[in-house]
Amino acid sequence: MKKVLSLVLALALVLGCMSIAGAEAPKTKLVVWSFTNELQGMIEKYYAPNHPEIEFEFQIYPTDGSAYETKVDNTLGVPDAAVSEEAPDIFTLEAAFVKHYVESDFTGNLKDIGFTDDELAVAFPVMAQIGQNSNGIQKGLSWQSTPGVLMYRASLAEKYLGVKSPEEMQEKVKDWDTFLETAEELKTASEGACKMVCGSGDIWNAYQYQRSQGWVVDGKLNIDDELLDFEELCKTLEQDDLTQKAGAWGETWFAGMRGEIETLCYFLPTWGLHYTLKPNCVAGWDAENPDSEENIKNATENGTYGDWRLTDGPVAYSWGGTWMGINAAKAATADDTKKAAMHDLIKFFTLDDDFLTQYAADSGDFVGSAKAVETILANGGTPNPFLGGQDHYAIFAKAAALANGSLMSEYDSTINDLWDKFVTTPYTKGEVESVDDAIAEFKNQVKSVITTIDVD
Amino acid sequence: MQAQPAVKKKVKSVSYSHWGYIFIAPFFITFLIFGLYPILFTFKTSVTDAVGWEKILNNNIIGFENFAQIFTSGTLANEKFWGALGNTIIIWFFNFVPQLGLALILASWFTDSRLRLRGQGFYKTTIFMPNIITAATIGMLFFSLFAYPIGPVNTFLQTSGIANMPVEYFRSTEWSRGLISFIQWWMWCGNTMIIMIAGISGINPSLFEAALVDGCSSRQTFWKITLPLIKPILVYNLTTSLVGGLTMFDIPHMMTQGGPNDTTNTVARFIYTQGFTGSRNFNMASAASVVLFVIIIVGSLIIRYVLNDHEPKPAKLAKKGAIK
Repeated sequence: MKKVLSLVLALALVLGCMSIAGAEAPKTKLVVWSFTNELQGMIEKYYAPNHPEIEFEFQIYPTDGSAYETKVDNTLGVPDAAVSEEAPDIFTLEAAFVKHYVESDFTGNLKDIGFTDDELAVAFPVMAQIGQNSNGIQKGLSWQSTPGVLMYRASLAEKYLGVKSPEEMQEKVKDWDTFLETAEELKTASEGACKMVCGSGDIWNAYQYQRSQGWVVDGKLNIDDELLDFEELCKTLEQDDLTQKAGAWGETWFAGMRGEIETLCYFLPTWGLHYTLKPNCVAGWDAENPDSEENIKNATENGTYGDWRLTDGPVAYSWGGTWMGINAAKAATADDTKKAAMHDLIKFFTLDDDFLTQYAADSGDFVGSAKAVETILANGGTPNPFLGGQDHYAIFAKAAALANGSLMSEYDSTINDLWDKFVTTPYTKGEVESVDDAIAEFKNQVKSVITTIDVD
Repeated sequence: MQAQPAVKKKVKSVSYSHWGYIFIAPFFITFLIFGLYPILFTFKTSVTDAVGWEKILNNNIIGFENFAQIFTSGTLANEKFWGALGNTIIIWFFNFVPQLGLALILASWFTDSRLRLRGQGFYKTTIFMPNIITAATIGMLFFSLFAYPIGPVNTFLQTSGIANMPVEYFRSTEWSRGLISFIQWWMWCGNTMIIMIAGISGINPSLFEAALVDGCSSRQTFWKITLPLIKPILVYNLTTSLVGGLTMFDIPHMMTQGGPNDTTNTVARFIYTQGFTGSRNFNMASAASVVLFVIIIVGSLIIRYVLNDHEPKPAKLAKKGAIK
């Protein structure tokens, strides 16, 4: 028995050596860094099987705190480390910090590895714009696109507003003035029981895309006039008792999704529909078997499954997303084979029509290429039972085409946070005399934490 | 045969003392890498222009400009840093005073030989329990408990008829500060109590017996025997509490994010927002850390000086003896 085993082992060893010796060309090695295993899963499923000539090495650092950013900065910020074996060739970037990296020298120009203007043209403008630096150089591309729309409960809209279709609802929320009028109408009709929206934070995600300029213009803090209108809108909503007066991601927010309290509208993007609204439409949603008959029956009878509809809302916006970028230092020293491999990989995941169509069908994700979205719509779209049979792809496609991605700056997450904390919250709750007082404190706060931009 | 004495001599001279160094080496190696080096690095960063990750290693030394900003009145750094220090001290004070008071009372009850409380183990465990839970978890827990407008506390107060409107706790400075102080107090009271019990148990029981025989009341025993004899423990407790209190971060960060209007923004949160949000002002964050470091050292020295026995010098004793 032992002899047989040793013979088998020896044979395996010889065969193993032979197969290594037999490989014709050395494999091209690509190091991919990410903060979730999403991209790794996609590469292993859709790409690696057809590309045996490429050897992949994956590193995953979660975004908790700023672990991922720290790791990237410590590697790409040190010249020797940036070109080392372990350093990434390709790394992913999320919405919170994508701007920071495309503005830095860490990420390389995608055209340097062979992308052409024609190829880049099929990406949704909003996602492409966010992946560009301020000089318009394309440094990041996304396989998904995260347009946002207005999601509302059809039963409440019909009961209080007499609205029977998403088109009629759109008339009621076509701009922010109408939105406010509808909120007042809703209050009267429901005697205050039903609120238009959970709180001003919900509106912010959409409203910030109403601006004509972003937070930083020519290295200076810029407060767009639209933001003052936003403050007045939120103050009226708050003072007239038209919202639930609560923040997103809290108990009140989720209670409205489950229908325990009546909140008519939510501003959510693509992922918000699948990963936030749907699993929270009923208490005791079965995350293990979401499509089981029992679960859907429970969600329909005791929750709000099937009651939601989508409509464009007052403004097209985008919220979230993941981009793929390349390590500039390593790309500069890569040979043509490697550059071609990087080009092919990024192109496959972000722009390839066949792959994205397939991926959308498999995952339900909203993809980043306008052309692939057209194909999906031409093939009959995606009727969604959660939305009472409404096709979410058609509505998202409209928002994705319209949203303005040029507004985003690398300091957005910090400045948005400060604006909410020092202007919107105190002003709408009537804690400060005037909006100007609040803005003065806001400017101080920005000046204190961001020393690289000018603040008057 | 001649070699034997030599061998014996060698055996005799085998020293085991190097094992001691080897056994304590892991601590010192870890400390040097993860403790001392970051501290020195912080000192170095505090005198540079390191703004942003790109400049964390590759920066210029600009002298004490960052410190000057903290100490020159009228600058933003000055206003925010000292404001945050004020918040921290207020929150720490209202946490520490009741904590020490209650811990002392409980410790003296649990150790009182006349009281002989039953079920001590149960009470000690229960009081110590909050200390086991991660502070961040407790921060989130209280954030949910006091949520507005729907949350367990608001719902309870309304359904039981105590309040007719929900209260927005985290928009009130008093409530926000009070809740943070309360959480700190509630979490650390058990810990302080255990240390106090250990301190009191270390006192020679014959002293208490003697007091009993001499007819001391419980109060007299506490003030005249227990308290003076656990002074070293009190110094230890005050010092660790000062260090913990001035570097308070997790509860305010998780629960109030420094709000409302920065009234619960602690020094550690100021350092965090400087270093890890916005343009990542590592230089200012480091300078503030160094100032905080110095404040804590000075505070600890004051505690030691005030509470330590200033024992009369031998010369004075001799004089006293002479007078007698």
